[in-house]
Amino acid sequence: MATSMVNEVKGDDSVPKELLLEKHVSFLREYGQNEDNFEYGITDYLRMSGVYWGLTALDLMGKLKELPENEIVEFVQKCQDPESGGISGCINHDPHLLHTVSAIQVLCIYDRLDAINVEGVIKYVKSLQKDDGSFTGDKWGEVDTRFSFCAVLTLSLLKRMDAIDVDKAVEFVESCMNFDGGFGSRPLSESHAGLIYCCVGFLSITQRLDIIKRDTLAWWLCERQLPSGGLNGRPEKLPDVCYSWWVLSSLSMLGRLHWIDFAALEKFIVSCQDSETGGFSDRPGDITDPYHTLFGLAALSLMGNGALKRVNPTYCMPQEVIDKLELKPQILN
Amino acid sequence: MHGRLKVRTTEEQKLIKEKKQQEKLKAYRQGFQQILSTRHEVPYNQTSFAICSQLLIANPDISTLWNYRKEVILQEIETSDKSNEEELGKFMTSEIKLTEQCLLANPKSYGSWYHRFWVLDRHPKPDWNGEFALCSLYLMKDDRNFHCWDYRRLILEKIGIDLDAERKFSTERININFSNYSSWHYRSTLKQLNQESLDEEINLVQNAVFTDPADSSAWFYLRWILSSQDVTKKHKEDMLCKLESLQELDPDCKWIYIAKSWLTKGVRDGNSVAADGDCFRTLIQIDPLRKGHYNDCLNNID
Repeated sequence: MATSMVNEVKGDDSVPKELLLEKHVSFLREYGQNEDNFEYGITDYLRMSGVYWGLTALDLMGKLKELPENEIVEFVQKCQDPESGGISGCINHDPHLLHTVSAIQVLCIYDRLDAINVEGVIKYVKSLQKDDGSFTGDKWGEVDTRFSFCAVLTLSLLKRMDAIDVDKAVEFVESCMNFDGGFGSRPLSESHAGLIYCCVGFLSITQRLDIIKRDTLAWWLCERQLPSGGLNGRPEKLPDVCYSWWVLSSLSMLGRLHWIDFAALEKFIVSCQDSETGGFSDRPGDITDPYHTLFGLAALSLMGNGALKRVNPTYCMPQEVIDKLELKPQILN
Repeated sequence: MHGRLKVRTTEEQKLIKEKKQQEKLKAYRQGFQQILSTRHEVPYNQTSFAICSQLLIANPDISTLWNYRKEVILQEIETSDKSNEEELGKFMTSEIKLTEQCLLANPKSYGSWYHRFWVLDRHPKPDWNGEFALCSLYLMKDDRNFHCWDYRRLILEKIGIDLDAERKFSTERININFSNYSSWHYRSTLKQLNQESLDEEINLVQNAVFTDPADSSAWFYLRWILSSQDVTKKHKEDMLCKLESLQELDPDCKWIYIAKSWLTKGVRDGNSVAADGDCFRTLIQIDPLRKGHYNDCLNNID
């Protein structure tokens, strides 16, 4: 309940207060070096997204060269399914839109789209659109607004938005809008900051932010900030570093970034670093991972941290990469 | 990795843990290889299928493993006919049991929820009503699990929605725990706001905010209700009056100030601008995290 949320995270004096960039660089560099590390080995099925998280985080810190480019590009190549054109989380696993988008993001950062069969990817994304405009994650049929976002993210990076029915896709996302102005995973599903990011990002790419009830949604989003400074993903839930990104990037696209208290959020994000191992965790004192490391850094970048490259709020990729591709996702003033 | 506290251990504990982890990793890799090498066998390889269950119970997020199961199920459906429908039903039911095990270990696993629905949808005799009852039972244990709410909607598409019953369910959930945003949200999807329903909704939301004014859930619902064109000046005046008495009991509650700012729109006369200004200036003091928002509100009334 609200009153108990005041103590939602431990206010510990031992938590870090400065940004530990060097620690994070070595954390991410070493993360994939030991194949037999348990956490690394057991999460092989989401490796492609893991590569995107680690690579983007390093690029934001200006350390793209810390990871072996050729090895990574080769890995992406091997993960493309020649039949469907989709890309999997790792070798021997099945293709999925979640990993297809990560792979395309990675190749765009490296400017190496030539390494894969791009037409195959386009064919794959196109094959996953349903008559009502929605997208399934793979051929097995699960529908979710996350997949709508993945689809347009992928196709816009490949400059092939014409491959799908964009109007229908927008119609579906619009049908997922709720009483509070937010969005859920399907029509009538509860609003959730992660899915709001997906839907706002989707509308930013399709240049249709006009359909959003801007201030209703922005108010709901700014109410995610808790006394600890951290952001949660739904009312009466705990804060988590990844929501720093989902909420902040959505507010940024809506032109309402200033509705969040930066100093308080920065303090929370910085306190989620592990000063021994490097990396960020969801909350202070938990185990760190590349996922939270990217979203912690990306949120700091969005708040203007000078030690980091600028991040694009729609794509969660360095702004310079988006500029080079001449992409102009819609952002409200 | 969410909510996993880093625990300090001795060197010895660390070694034991690492050994166990290495065994697990080895079992995962061997199991996956075994499945991969037999994936396309017809009839399916029972050892691989059993290993697959174990791997999913340990980690239900590995979508390729669910895909393998779906391939096997399709194979079973294709090779069965009326004479062995019962057998097929049993096979499918054991599959549903597996998803139950997975969901008990990880109630937020997208893959398990989806597989469960996918299997039931192909079951020769699906017990949708039983499933619906189970769903209600689960929501009583955890009424914030949005996967389960989504699942409820999928089942209702099958058995047909009884709007009155669902409304009653949401009222019950809300009365048990006002701080339950998921139930408020669910209610919003069942309601057409109109003259008939408005009084009941206002009543419910007023009860909630008077019980725990610090809880945000009902306030979001109130904002939505007030957006209805059927809200009259009288509704607003009544509520404003009630909120003012609540404010006497709880003078520092930001939500009361926020709600008052919604209500004064079109109710007060020339004084409302000054009153709204005071309201937002107070909010900046008592809720400084959102001062950027309140400053914009102040600028808008000027």
